[in-house]
Amino acid sequence: MKVHLFALLALIGTPLLSVQADTLKINGSTTVNLPAAEASEILRSEKKMDIQIDTQGGSAGGISMLGEGLVQIGMISKHVSDEERAKFPKVTFKEIQVGEDAVALIVSADVWEGGVKSITKQQAADIYEGKIKNWKQIGGPDKRIAFFNKEPGRGTWEVFVHWVYGSPKKAPQVSFPEVGGNEETRNKVASTKGALSQLSSSWADGKTVFALSIKTEDGKEISPANENIANRSYPLSRPLFLLTNGEPTGDTKTFVDFMLSDRGQDLVKKHGYLKLSELK
Amino acid sequence: MRRKLVHHLFRGITALCALLACGILGWLVWAIARRGLPAISWNFFTEQIKLVGASGGIFFNIIGTGILLLTALVATLPVAVSLALLHGVYLRDGKRKRALETMLYVLNGMPSIVCGIFGFIVFVNYFGWGKSWLSGGLLLAIIMLPTVTVALMERMATLPSKYVEAASGLGMRQSQIIWSVILPQTLSGIITGSLLGLARIAGEIAPIMFTATIFAGASFPKGIKESPVLSLPYHIFILVQDSFDPGVAEKIWGTALVMLGLVFTLSLIALPARLKIHEEAHHG
Amino acid sequence: MVSRWSFTKISTFFFSLVAAGIMVAMLVLLIVQSIPVWKHEGWSFLTGTKWFMRTHEFGAAPMILGTVLVSFTALLLAGPVGIGAAVFASEFLPARLRLAVKIIIELLAGVPAVVYGLLGVLFLRNWIYDLLTPFDPLSGDTLLTGAVLLAVMILPTVMTLADDALRSVPAAQRTAARGLGLNSTEVVLHVSLPQSARGLLAALLLGLGRALGEAIAVFLVVGRQDNQWPEKLLSINPLIESGQTITTKLASSETNIAYGDPIHWGAICGLALILMLMVAGITLASASLQFFSRSRHAS
Repeated sequence: MKVHLFALLALIGTPLLSVQADTLKINGSTTVNLPAAEASEILRSEKKMDIQIDTQGGSAGGISMLGEGLVQIGMISKHVSDEERAKFPKVTFKEIQVGEDAVALIVSADVWEGGVKSITKQQAADIYEGKIKNWKQIGGPDKRIAFFNKEPGRGTWEVFVHWVYGSPKKAPQVSFPEVGGNEETRNKVASTKGALSQLSSSWADGKTVFALSIKTEDGKEISPANENIANRSYPLSRPLFLLTNGEPTGDTKTFVDFMLSDRGQDLVKKHGYLKLSELK
Repeated sequence: MRRKLVHHLFRGITALCALLACGILGWLVWAIARRGLPAISWNFFTEQIKLVGASGGIFFNIIGTGILLLTALVATLPVAVSLALLHGVYLRDGKRKRALETMLYVLNGMPSIVCGIFGFIVFVNYFGWGKSWLSGGLLLAIIMLPTVTVALMERMATLPSKYVEAASGLGMRQSQIIWSVILPQTLSGIITGSLLGLARIAGEIAPIMFTATIFAGASFPKGIKESPVLSLPYHIFILVQDSFDPGVAEKIWGTALVMLGLVFTLSLIALPARLKIHEEAHHG
Repeated sequence: MVSRWSFTKISTFFFSLVAAGIMVAMLVLLIVQSIPVWKHEGWSFLTGTKWFMRTHEFGAAPMILGTVLVSFTALLLAGPVGIGAAVFASEFLPARLRLAVKIIIELLAGVPAVVYGLLGVLFLRNWIYDLLTPFDPLSGDTLLTGAVLLAVMILPTVMTLADDALRSVPAAQRTAARGLGLNSTEVVLHVSLPQSARGLLAALLLGLGRALGEAIAVFLVVGRQDNQWPEKLLSINPLIESGQTITTKLASSETNIAYGDPIHWGAICGLALILMLMVAGITLASASLQFFSRSRHAS
């Protein structure tokens, strides 16, 4: 009797403890998540693939989970830094670009209507360092600047400090209210007077939140419009990547190939980003 | 005259307090039902998430929450019954009983996010399970344990001692008395406590966000390691921060309405027994 | 009854030990895992006001302050309302209506935190922002917003336990007081409330304990701003600015980022440890009050 019981337990236990190898796991940036999640839905129903997708920790979460072997694909909205490569020496990070996006500096309606339509790099730095605290200092309404900073680890934040300071490491230590997800950012900026934040430009709808143009040193104002992202004249443009460990194979390859196919690229377009074919 | 005035004033103010408390529930249900009802349809319950939450339903979120709740219940019941028996049968010393009660109080107050961190260290990393339905279920079991145990303890306290004495007089051994008298007689306490416990954990996110649940793609778990599930509360939590499509809003409210329906149903089924036992335990 | 070590008894003790073991394990694990940060920061982990993870500077004081401010404000709001409602329900309402109120409160207690978070993000933030306009707040994400949300969440706890405390005052005492010519308000003020004072205090403390540990709803509305140490402690200013509590830090993406960096992870576990001890302290205080009041009435 006892022997039977153990045999039964072993029978139940074996499949329970075995690692699931046939599940494709994806984690990372909420920005890349939109087309990738929709692509997984299609692959799930058409190719019966088992795909799990999550957005824990943003781009940094995608990189570290791929590094630790917890996922097969990371979604990232920035380049993998040398430090991150050094942290996982055994992993060969391969960045596969699937689209292009830009980080916009977005403001609430009252700031936009108060006349602030563009911003220089120096002004952005001064706001970030707390030297400029009121919109009137840069020609806007007399209203304190309510700056919502993207939380650390988010691709959006890294692209921003990369532009202003050259590298995230050189960015000063500051404390602002932090926002995480894209909708959270949009919602909080839209409902707060004098608000400013960094957000993926495709979410800047021009109705509730407004994307500022970047004023270059020679006085040109460049908006995050698609043509400016495509020809790289808008300085905060960024590639959107799928990240794999080495050359993709098997299910990973199927997924990557789908994202690069016409249908996958249409999904990138649908969610407001630039397709690869639109880039120059 | 002044006494009357004070009386009316006092009664009026306390009435306002009670009205406020009840009003909050009324407003809350109205606010959620008004926005969530349009999302509710048969397909909402039977379809998967589509278009990153903007379309389709929450089938696997319901399944996932169901799996977590069931696991928690199965894990918590033997421990809760044991603790209640320890309290009601085996411990004779008042001091020890009180120590046990105190332990339950402290466990009851344990912040659920601390349980989440604990689970992240133990299950996700030490055991190497990654995100797994089992981690989530076990952590939720810890959180619901005091609720189930206390309900059962209160029920046991109301059990007339003559039952036990009669059984004892028949020459039954203590373990026989437990299995054939005490547990059957307190079954209602076990059920009530379980329902209350489930209502308490159904909406928890903090213990499962790092240990058990993901945004999309998980279906029925096929093992323990690396087998996350979807869940209702995490779905709301992610979508409220990251929904792109305005169409998602309706789905968020719909999901909130389903959750509200779930916990209200659990509480309401438990309610009659709970009020009765509770009153008896306190004033019997 | 003869007590022998039967199978039932052995398994009962075994499972009970499991429960106790989990609690001990939690405490030990958090202590052990937080050692690196105590070595790195010493006492300034508790007193330091700066938290910069990239330069390994970990001071928890602003978060402890945020936790305390949010929870006590919530209690200040929910306490009077909860006790008032309990007084009305248990002293002035006929049995049937009292039951109806109890059912409503029971349902309110079951509303999940994420639902409060949803309502907080989409409504309460804006209401508080409008309400605070005269004080010129920077945004609707403030400690006060978190506190109001928490107040609603702990209201059922306070009310249910206050109701229990009031009901445990023997009916004979009320009857006697009525016999002396007191009206029902005077009975409440001179008999019920003083007699149940300890139970009421215990109810408030348990409400406070719940407020201290709540994470998700507060996370969505508090602003999550680090290093908010006010220049003037005793003013309303910290309340109408955004801040951070221990729970909102623990629920943030830093928990994911920190793992693998012993000092940073130690800081996260240290925060969890501080929170656990704070809540355990409050709960123990509340429990001892309840035991005391129960034993007094029982005798």
